[in-house]
Amino acid sequence: MRKKKIIVKNINKSFKNKVVLKKLNLDVFESESLSIIGESGSGKSILTRCIVGLLDYDDGSISFGKLDNIKTLSDKEKMNYMSKFGILFQNSALLDSLNIRENLKFANKKNSLNEILSEVGLPQSILEKYPSELSVGMQKRVGLARAILKKPEVLILDEPTTGLDPIIARQINLLIKNLVRKKKITTITVTHDMDSVYEFADYVAFLKNGIIEWYGKARKINQSKNSSMIKFIKGIN
Amino acid sequence: MTRLLSSALALSKRLFNLIFSFFYSIGEIVDFFLDCVKYFITEKFYFNIFLKQFIKIGFNSLPVVGLTSIFTGMVLALQSYTGFSRFSAESAIPNVVVLSITRELAPVLAGLMVAGRSGAAIAAEIGTMKVTEQIDALKTLSTNPFNYLIIPRILAGIISLPILVIVGDIIGVLGGYLICVNLLNFNPTVYLQNTYNFVQFIDVFSGLVKASVFGFLITFMGCYHGFNAKGGAQGVGQSTTYSVVSSSILILLMNYIITSFFFRL
Repeated sequence: MRKKKIIVKNINKSFKNKVVLKKLNLDVFESESLSIIGESGSGKSILTRCIVGLLDYDDGSISFGKLDNIKTLSDKEKMNYMSKFGILFQNSALLDSLNIRENLKFANKKNSLNEILSEVGLPQSILEKYPSELSVGMQKRVGLARAILKKPEVLILDEPTTGLDPIIARQINLLIKNLVRKKKITTITVTHDMDSVYEFADYVAFLKNGIIEWYGKARKINQSKNSSMIKFIKGIN
Repeated sequence: MTRLLSSALALSKRLFNLIFSFFYSIGEIVDFFLDCVKYFITEKFYFNIFLKQFIKIGFNSLPVVGLTSIFTGMVLALQSYTGFSRFSAESAIPNVVVLSITRELAPVLAGLMVAGRSGAAIAAEIGTMKVTEQIDALKTLSTNPFNYLIIPRILAGIISLPILVIVGDIIGVLGGYLICVNLLNFNPTVYLQNTYNFVQFIDVFSGLVKASVFGFLITFMGCYHGFNAKGGAQGVGQSTTYSVVSSSILILLMNYIITSFFFRL
């Protein structure tokens, strides 16, 4: 029996005159991996930012577990709410004034760093290095380590393979797949990369012009009759 | 006639938009300030970050402020001599130097120097953090960016600027002393005695009050513009420019306001 973790109900979001999300509905289920795909500017990242609470939506509601409408939370409650998420940002967003040890300690002071480093396939020698001294692939791994170190209820992966060469992208996809499967963590992935979808998504939501045009099981994605999504998957503009 | 009317309408619309955006910006700045006060009172204070910023803004600005002060003191002594020697009032030079340095030049020049050096650095650093989502990352790591990034910097500015100005006062007076004693053949003891006897507590105090206010303006504007940076590198560059320009103008404006306040005392 699938249990709903996040319920997005009729949310609208616009910036000045540009409508980004239009009465969007989406359910995210516990322990499942959902991939949100769509072209650039379709509203994928805005949607996840609304879900996390980094951005306020105009109307509608987002519920998380027993929390009814996250928009009504106070500043302090919102801070607690945000701490339920572990996020791998598109550019990793490691604090560049801190070394890797300090970056990871920021997420969780108690946990052993050696364990988490081996989980993401990084040597201990990087702990004293600064983010600028690491390759983009390594930064992504550290970002992922930081995201899971705080034992989040929901893991958000924003374009996890963007900017990586195909070999490193494949390694990151496999790493995420192993972590997601092992930890059974609810995951939302925003991606352009169909390899990420095939590798670790249980369900897929295709977003176009601010609405979900297609939602279904990842393994049925190629049976979809939605022409926009077929074009997207085949890389036809 | 219709064309004239429509161009007048367009002009008034632009004027309205300009006035609206001006007041909107002021509203946003006030809102940002109130958030700073609220989070300072209610949430965690990062003392180690404050110390780091205190060293960055205060200690690391010492060479710039010192050099500015010594040359200003030297120039002031030379220029005063040019004027005062015309009516045989050379003995007033130590008084003019100490008064100008403590009340006016040390705080304003230190303020402008720190605005260019530290204000720009603050805006660039926070702006980069904003556009690379590091500030969002902080929020999701249960850290309030106001407490972690903004408040320690503002407090460091408020506290370090007066200390820089005290150092600037001493070095500026020393600059005047060096010129008067070595170049204009003043008696060193008389020079120092004149300086010491003439200067009053209020002269130094008014300079320190100015320095504190300037320290606040520099760090606040740096943080505000950095925190509201948009886009990529261009947005960060723009926020840095806005920070330096706005804090410099505000320093000059507040300098006049504080001077006129102390003038009435």
